[in-house]
Amino acid sequence: MDSVDKAILNEVQGNFPVSSDPYGDVGKKLGISGEEVLTRVKALKQNKIIRKVGPFFDAKKMGHRSTLCAVHVPEEKLRETADIISSYVEVTHNYLREGSPNVWFTLIAENEGEIERILSEISDKAGVGPIRNLPARRMFKIKVDLKLKG
Amino acid sequence: MEQKDIDIIRALQNEEFYFELNPFAKIAHKLNMELDLLLERIKQLKEAGIIRRFGAAMTPHKAGFSSNAMVTWNVPLEHENEAAEAMAAHARVSHCYLRDGFEGFPFTLYTMVHANSPEDLEVVLDELAELGNVKERRVLKSLKEYKKSSPVYFPEKM
Repeated sequence: MDSVDKAILNEVQGNFPVSSDPYGDVGKKLGISGEEVLTRVKALKQNKIIRKVGPFFDAKKMGHRSTLCAVHVPEEKLRETADIISSYVEVTHNYLREGSPNVWFTLIAENEGEIERILSEISDKAGVGPIRNLPARRMFKIKVDLKLKG
Repeated sequence: MEQKDIDIIRALQNEEFYFELNPFAKIAHKLNMELDLLLERIKQLKEAGIIRRFGAAMTPHKAGFSSNAMVTWNVPLEHENEAAEAMAAHARVSHCYLRDGFEGFPFTLYTMVHANSPEDLEVVLDELAELGNVKERRVLKSLKEYKKSSPVYFPEKM
């Protein structure tokens, strides 16, 4: 990652231009061509420095509900249960963690009923439970991006 | 939400478009919509806060933080807001929420903490304990990542 890459990252992290020629716009600011910006963004993505490009939505403003769920799964059922949980597109993160409960996952769905439905389906299919549904009661902070020094 | 917006939101989530020149022209074409109208509607969705931002997200690990942990704290109800605010103000805390406790798990304050090493993580956690005046914590160390993806809004049902 060189200084041009860092300049591009700082430019596109928080504010990818919504225009007819976004890469050209970024290029103009940095004095390079739009094609070069795109080539570099592609490489940053391939090297997994960029995780995702696109829109970041406010789940709540779209009327969606998000929650963190926890369930204790016995060792012998772990693989199967984890696969069942991860198979839902509504599940965005799913981890095995130390202690009990040991499986923690996040869920975003169109409404509360959908969340309940998915949790009871997981519980039935995997034969595990109770699944603790732990939506945030109050949110104090959500990730801010890090600026890179050139 | 109107069907037209749902169609736009679905199309915007297809990441492949962004690795080509003129991504929005391609999205407009897919939606059978004028480019100008699409750009205008995206701007309105941003102004309404439905789109928080348009951009690129970096992998935290690649940004220099190698020890990241989900840490929960057992904080008395009467000073939970105070403790949460104090911890949220710490630069190494990226997420900070209050959730309900449950049987056998009295920890209600959840933080995502980023550090450069396991030793650094301990230092940061001790700082947070002092800031929030909380004695008992549990680090939910991740042993295995089964899935990590971006949320999909309005997924197409199979």
